[in-house]
Amino acid sequence: MATVQVSEAEKVYVMHGVRDDLRVDGRGCEDYRHMEIETDVVSNTDGSAKVSLGHTDILVGIKAEIGKPRPMVPDEGYLEFFVDCSANATPEFEGRGGEELGVELSNTLYKVFNNRHSLDLRSLCICPGEHCWVLYVDVLLLQCDGNLFDAMSIAIKAALFNTRIPKVHISEDEEGVKEIELSDDPYDCMRLNVENVPCIVTLCKIAHRHVVDATLQEKACSVASLLISVTHKGMVTCVRKLGRGSLDPDSIFEMTETGKRVGKALHAPLMELLQKEESLGKKRQKVGFLA
Amino acid sequence: MFCSRPGWSHVRLRRGVLSMLKSKTFVKKTRAGGVMKVVREHYLRDDIWCGSEVCTECKDGAPVLQQDARVESDLCAYPHYLIPDTNVVLHQIDILEDPLIRNVIILQTVLQEVRHRSPPVYKRIKDATHEKEKHFYTFTNEHHRQTFIEREQGESINDRNDRAIRVAAKWYTEHLNKAPSVGELKVVLLTNDRANRDKAEQNGLLAYRCEEYIKSLTGNPELVDRLALTSDDQNEITGSKLLFPEHLPLSRIQAGIKSGTFLQGTFRASRDNYLEATVFVQREGDDSTEVLLQGLQNLNRAVHQDVVAVELFPKEQWVAPSSVVLQDDRPSDKETEEEESPVLDPSRLKPTGRVVGIIKRNWRPFCGMLNQSQIKEATRHLFTPADRRIPRIRIETRQASTLVGQRIIVAIDGWPRNSRYPNGHFVRNLGGAGDKDTETEVLLLEHDVPHQPFSQAVLSFLPKMPWGITEEDLKVRADLRHLCVCSVDPPGCTDIDDALHCRELENGNLEVGVHIADVSHFIRPGNALDQEAASRGTTVYLCGKRIDMVPELLSSNLCSLRSNVERLAFSCIWEMNHKAEILNTRFTKSIINSKASLTYAEAQMRIDDASMNDDITKSLRGLNTLAKILKGQRIAKGALTLSSPEVRFHMDSETHDPIDLQTKELKDTNSMVEEFMLLANISVAQKIYEEFSECALLRKHPAPPPSNYDILIKAAKSRELEIRIDSAKALADSLNEAVLEDFPYFNTLLRILATRCMMQAVYFCSGMDSDFHHYGLASPIYTHFTSPIRRYSDIIVHRLLAVAINADSTYPDLMDKHKQSSLCNNLNYRHKMAQYAQRASVAFHTQLFFKNKGILNEEGFILFVRKNAIIILIPKFGLEGTVFFENNDKPGPRLNFDSEGPTLTVEDQHTFHIFDRVKVTISLDASNIQHQKIRMALVEPVAPFFQIPGVSVALPEPEPEAKKLKLDR
Repeated sequence: MATVQVSEAEKVYVMHGVRDDLRVDGRGCEDYRHMEIETDVVSNTDGSAKVSLGHTDILVGIKAEIGKPRPMVPDEGYLEFFVDCSANATPEFEGRGGEELGVELSNTLYKVFNNRHSLDLRSLCICPGEHCWVLYVDVLLLQCDGNLFDAMSIAIKAALFNTRIPKVHISEDEEGVKEIELSDDPYDCMRLNVENVPCIVTLCKIAHRHVVDATLQEKACSVASLLISVTHKGMVTCVRKLGRGSLDPDSIFEMTETGKRVGKALHAPLMELLQKEESLGKKRQKVGFLA
Repeated sequence: MFCSRPGWSHVRLRRGVLSMLKSKTFVKKTRAGGVMKVVREHYLRDDIWCGSEVCTECKDGAPVLQQDARVESDLCAYPHYLIPDTNVVLHQIDILEDPLIRNVIILQTVLQEVRHRSPPVYKRIKDATHEKEKHFYTFTNEHHRQTFIEREQGESINDRNDRAIRVAAKWYTEHLNKAPSVGELKVVLLTNDRANRDKAEQNGLLAYRCEEYIKSLTGNPELVDRLALTSDDQNEITGSKLLFPEHLPLSRIQAGIKSGTFLQGTFRASRDNYLEATVFVQREGDDSTEVLLQGLQNLNRAVHQDVVAVELFPKEQWVAPSSVVLQDDRPSDKETEEEESPVLDPSRLKPTGRVVGIIKRNWRPFCGMLNQSQIKEATRHLFTPADRRIPRIRIETRQASTLVGQRIIVAIDGWPRNSRYPNGHFVRNLGGAGDKDTETEVLLLEHDVPHQPFSQAVLSFLPKMPWGITEEDLKVRADLRHLCVCSVDPPGCTDIDDALHCRELENGNLEVGVHIADVSHFIRPGNALDQEAASRGTTVYLCGKRIDMVPELLSSNLCSLRSNVERLAFSCIWEMNHKAEILNTRFTKSIINSKASLTYAEAQMRIDDASMNDDITKSLRGLNTLAKILKGQRIAKGALTLSSPEVRFHMDSETHDPIDLQTKELKDTNSMVEEFMLLANISVAQKIYEEFSECALLRKHPAPPPSNYDILIKAAKSRELEIRIDSAKALADSLNEAVLEDFPYFNTLLRILATRCMMQAVYFCSGMDSDFHHYGLASPIYTHFTSPIRRYSDIIVHRLLAVAINADSTYPDLMDKHKQSSLCNNLNYRHKMAQYAQRASVAFHTQLFFKNKGILNEEGFILFVRKNAIIILIPKFGLEGTVFFENNDKPGPRLNFDSEGPTLTVEDQHTFHIFDRVKVTISLDASNIQHQKIRMALVEPVAPFFQIPGVSVALPEPEPEAKKLKLDR
């Protein structure tokens, strides 16, 4: 991943600041950077969102396609994740440089989102055992400035909120041959319930304290971080430790508590914002990501 | 992964016009069963002009819509522009094409919908907009910023399009009102949809039903007849009794075909029995079956050539085809129908079924005549099409009395369940039945020969006159103007596509050149001219009329290799020794200057006249000598010389009526030209196949199956002669030997019979076939290169050859074997139809001839002996007719048919053999004006029982399944 070089003196400076709840950019330990969200930015997807968090820029597009349900769960649809690390974000990603990171990120996203607790996968079923909707979630890293997971999770949640799946219904003739029929009204579509979709809060252990939304510089000062996915009710759905260092049980507990608190606080304004944006309808002035 | 696009943006185009980008989104089903979201960019602009002469705001250089758009109408006394909606264009295209209807705005929304729903109507409306006098203007409302609308939530696509049409009409109304000189000019919306009309009126628009408007045109009441009947009107016409079972919807049909409960096939009505039809079901591979349908209920409103879905009955209900001739010609219009009891002969039972749905209607306008209703002042009449396989059609007209005795065209509009006959509307009056021009028009229409004048779009691709040879042409072409080239053609030929030369080289060898008009220089691939020519496929020669494949400027002028003018040519030049062996072949684009255009007779005279020794004559003599050697070689290889009784009419120069008939005679020079054309075709075929083994357009002539020759062998056997058919060579030799001293015409008769045994020669694409052999010419490979003015195949061959010699560039369709193969199918179809049309034209002129001649006695030969009839050929007229010994109503004489001979013995008194000489009287039977016949009756051998009245049907109308397959080279 994109890293910055930090000198020992800088490290001490950052660590001392965190100890006093005063970070280099002036934030407190549990503060996020400025965040911008816009949905419906890519017209040829079924749902899309763009999130910028500090200088981290993420674009998510969701395509719904008809596929076959997995044999173990015949009455559910499923999600597929693909993370593309654009060489725009950092030259390290050039060629196949970003592949490893991409796979790691998509595996984590798969764990966090693709389960029936976060999204009602049954609603994606068209015909049990035969047809279901598969949501291809494509994540594009446009710029890396730390805290990719949080930004990605917010973008995915926003994109899922924005997703409109065309309504289909199965017609069956007397021989039992099933045929998928498509509504010819483009407005006739299905929305997803994103209430339970979790957000990821990554906590970075710096010295004896931990911070949320670490910048690259702060990240360099930390040995380990903890990724927690939290629903709007404060339920933790997934915990993962990242980084080489180790964490003692006490601080894991402390960090989990912080994560729950921060995560809960993150959901409410996010949903409010998304609702508000949608209520603008066609009058909304689209910005896009070239702005 | 994504493509970036701003949602809204303004883009400045050149000319300083501001355009706005929007995206159009829709979802569609993919073939694999998935669902795909499609997003298209859509730009809106401000510089789309309204096209009206009145408008000062729009900067249109040449406005189409007139200021004084006045039509005599009760409803709209003011000048007005019409805006028809989609259904009006689709159903009332016949009205819109009328010269009276002018100043019409065709909206893009309408055009797109029409294109989607009916390509033929789309083409017709496009052609109408191209015509300057029609003042039709296409307004691209979907790209105009003020008239573009987005589909709203809960709005169906049809409602959205209707709204778009209203918005555009509203815009026009407001836009024109701004013009200072608008006067009373108004915009009138034509729509038959009540909801749409109501909404339009709410918006303050003038909207009328199409019928309402047309009926208001006081100046032209006859237009009303051409209105297509819409569903509203149908209820009035017929009772409510349902006569037919309902057609299944397409989705059910498709599912049924998939699961095998229904079969899909082409509906073929029986010519003889209107209650019977077959459906030809093509399955994968060569496995195809025919399903028999009997009874009106089971035919269920299918019309000849429709693609239908049929359901098979269980085996117990299968029936045999009836052998009865039944014609639906009762004058009354009763709704009841007595069905005949099906014939039950277990050995002849055929799969039987019923039509459950129509997959595709193949309705075209039909020619025919009106049966006037017996009730005076009735407006509903039945129309009898010329083609017996088409049911009678009910039309509404007020001019029945003027249309009686006329050939008219009628289009079918629909066939409701409660109507015995389909409903249709009058399209056009062709003229009096029996009239020469009318009948020619009828036979062109019935044989699907495209014969409309070339459209403006096609003509626009013609070279600009005056045309001359440019410096560039000189650079890339071989200059052969100094050569002594001449052309030899039939008299009166204006489309000369070949010319020849022959000269002695310094090394003692001969140089022979065949120069073919370079049509592909003028017709560039893909443009409207090319497409039109490809669709026409061939020039059709009728008696006294020629229907050109390319416009006359090309066919009779720029491409015609006339004498003493410089013309572009594609030359094939050989170096030969005096034994006519080819030493060297060269192809080049060239410029020639023909020194003489000769007729066959003139050329023959020059060759024979020893006193003439000019260059042209010397050249002709050289050619003639070589041609004889070439012909000898070809015949030695097994090429067949066949014959068919071809006739030429001597036309009266003023009335264009035939005054005399004459069978074509062949001169040496005919075969001289033919020999070199064959040689050029073969050389070119080799060259293009060598260069493009996958996509060369070639012509093949398959060897006929041996059983085809049975009749020929039997015929020869009856005179103790043997015909060997193991190879073309053996056949040719045995035909040559089959000569009877006392019967000079015998050999010709044999050759006529042999021609009937042959298969049809066809075009094909080399990549799609493996058998290239041309049986009749005994050549392993063959193509058509020498007549590009009159055959489209030759244009393709020219293009291929031009690419092969680096004289021209290629294009994708030329190298696509599938596209070429479908082109070949069209060309084969057009050639076949052209031949039928030609025969029908000869038949009609023969009738005219006999009409003028009265009753004639002529000598003829028996060509075929059938179970109940003999077919007689009269060599003098090339006329073939049938003498029946049976009649449907009366018991006929006792007949004894022996299929071995074949012979027919009548009443044990006289036995007819094949090739017997007989005498017949010929007269014209005009009792059925639509189907005039030549009547033949035996005079010699005379016997009382032969004189059965009304026994003959002669000169069969050209039937598609006619066995008279002429060897077409």
